[in-house]
Amino acid sequence: MNRMLALIKREFWENKGAFRTTPLIIAGIFFVAMLMFLITFNHFDNEFQSLKELLRFIAQQDAGLRAKILYEGNLEMSVFFSMVLAFVVFFYLLGSLYDDRKDRSILFWKSLPASDTMTIGSKLLSAMVVAPVIFWIVYVLTHIMIMLLFSIAIMALGENPWTLFLSLSNPFEVWGLVLVSYFTQSIWALPLYGWLILVSAFAPRIPLLFAILPPVVLGVLELWVDFLHTFTVNDNLFGLFGHWFANSPLIMSADEHNDSFGAALGIPLTSDYGHQVTVANMFDRIFSTDMLIGLGIAAVFLAGALWLRRRATES
Amino acid sequence: MNHVIDAQGLTKRYKSTVAVDNIDLQIPAGRIVGLIGPNGAGKTSALKAILGLATYEGQLSVLGKDPSKDRAALMQDVCFIADVAVLPRWIRVWQLIELTEDIHPKFSREKCLRYLASTKVTMDHKVKQLSKGMVAQLHLALVMAIDVKLLVLDEPTLGLDILFRKQFYTNLLNDYFDEQRTILITTHQVEEIEHILSDLVFIQDGRIALNSSMDDVQERYVELMVAPDNAQAARELRPLNERELFGRHIFLFDKANREQLEPLGELRTPSVADLFVAIMNGGDA
Repeated sequence: MNRMLALIKREFWENKGAFRTTPLIIAGIFFVAMLMFLITFNHFDNEFQSLKELLRFIAQQDAGLRAKILYEGNLEMSVFFSMVLAFVVFFYLLGSLYDDRKDRSILFWKSLPASDTMTIGSKLLSAMVVAPVIFWIVYVLTHIMIMLLFSIAIMALGENPWTLFLSLSNPFEVWGLVLVSYFTQSIWALPLYGWLILVSAFAPRIPLLFAILPPVVLGVLELWVDFLHTFTVNDNLFGLFGHWFANSPLIMSADEHNDSFGAALGIPLTSDYGHQVTVANMFDRIFSTDMLIGLGIAAVFLAGALWLRRRATES
Repeated sequence: MNHVIDAQGLTKRYKSTVAVDNIDLQIPAGRIVGLIGPNGAGKTSALKAILGLATYEGQLSVLGKDPSKDRAALMQDVCFIADVAVLPRWIRVWQLIELTEDIHPKFSREKCLRYLASTKVTMDHKVKQLSKGMVAQLHLALVMAIDVKLLVLDEPTLGLDILFRKQFYTNLLNDYFDEQRTILITTHQVEEIEHILSDLVFIQDGRIALNSSMDDVQERYVELMVAPDNAQAARELRPLNERELFGRHIFLFDKANREQLEPLGELRTPSVADLFVAIMNGGDA
């Protein structure tokens, strides 16, 4: 247990830039954008002459509508964090078993009494739990900071932030949804994570190329062979990936429901799951036969990565 | 299980070449063994098998464990420096110490800090900011602070200057080695370690060319330095090797009758380097 924690600590230290600094930069962007917004409204002509006028206008709107906007605004804010998190985890895993082979420090790590299984486990846990939790915490803090800034600005103008918006929104619901979406996504994405770890274990160089090229080549070949057979373009590797992506429990937009995401992409994806952002919908995805197959694939990839890791110091 | 390392028929093949060819090797506890061989002789392959870093054929037991199956468990009692400068470059010294402390049950932080106190390495240094010599000092400090039964050093001082190398081996001998511990070293700089070795293993083309304690080596091999007039007489006694230095002929004998040699010239104990050259060139004689 202690060893596992130490190995995870190692992952955090090594990837501090990706895991900690990146979400803080996003928070900074939100902070600066927020200040710019407030300054703009206080200094320039606008549809509304001043922030105060805007607030009055908002106050006249229906409370239900205001609550909805707050809810969706909060979700939209999380999307920014979630997308960047997905990128961070992707590149982290791609380097996870590659970087120490490249700089030969694998010889040091292998001199410690920690098994290869534990090492791979620590990397998977960092991707599935550590990075998402850090991103989530920074996202929540950013949200609180923005609510606070808004409230201060509103109070400075002599209005009451509580009746205007604070009392209308229940941030805990959205925070909870985002956290659950991160954890369900971690499970949903396991086949991809397994593939990335496998690639990082065998790529002699440029792991990105080795991660993307084989599935693309395979998909194109499959498409071609299919086409020769049937003169139609049927379900294939690309379709499978699109299906997986469109069904991802990660919240990618606030009003995701009924295939809106797939439709937006213009791909005729068959969707098995409702995409409305609810915990039940997220759980539907991970308690499914699709997921079971996905877990099987992930296990094969991870076993391959372990086999390669054991032999990483052969030559 | 009296032997720290017990190899029988140890073989390592790469696609078409045989790097280690059916080696039998027993190393008891409390020895400092030098594994010496030319480039590509199979030293590193043998060490990798011993450390569980590579697969192999044959029987191999290290401290009673099978390295290919139990690497993690084995590393509780075995430590190694595989090469200079393989510490992760991004890590800070304090992080490295904390990780080793968390992962290694036999690591002593106090010892490590004591060794580091005599160097210029500080806690906040990143490994990539350190010179090659400082990285080696740091790695040695880490390793010496771990209470293991077997320490394996594969070219631990490659590329370091002479001051670092001397210091390295002095520390190793004075502060680390004792009767319970075994150290296995490979290096090309034979002359620097010959005075600390207790045993000598020569390896050539994947086979053991010599496996002997230093005492036996000194007893068994003798070097005879003769003037040119006596060279022919010496040659007739079938030396292992002959070389010329400043007009004098130097012969190396294996199990020679010293009384026979003495009248011919000056007798002395050969250096490991000279012995190495003689045995490697003399081949299978």
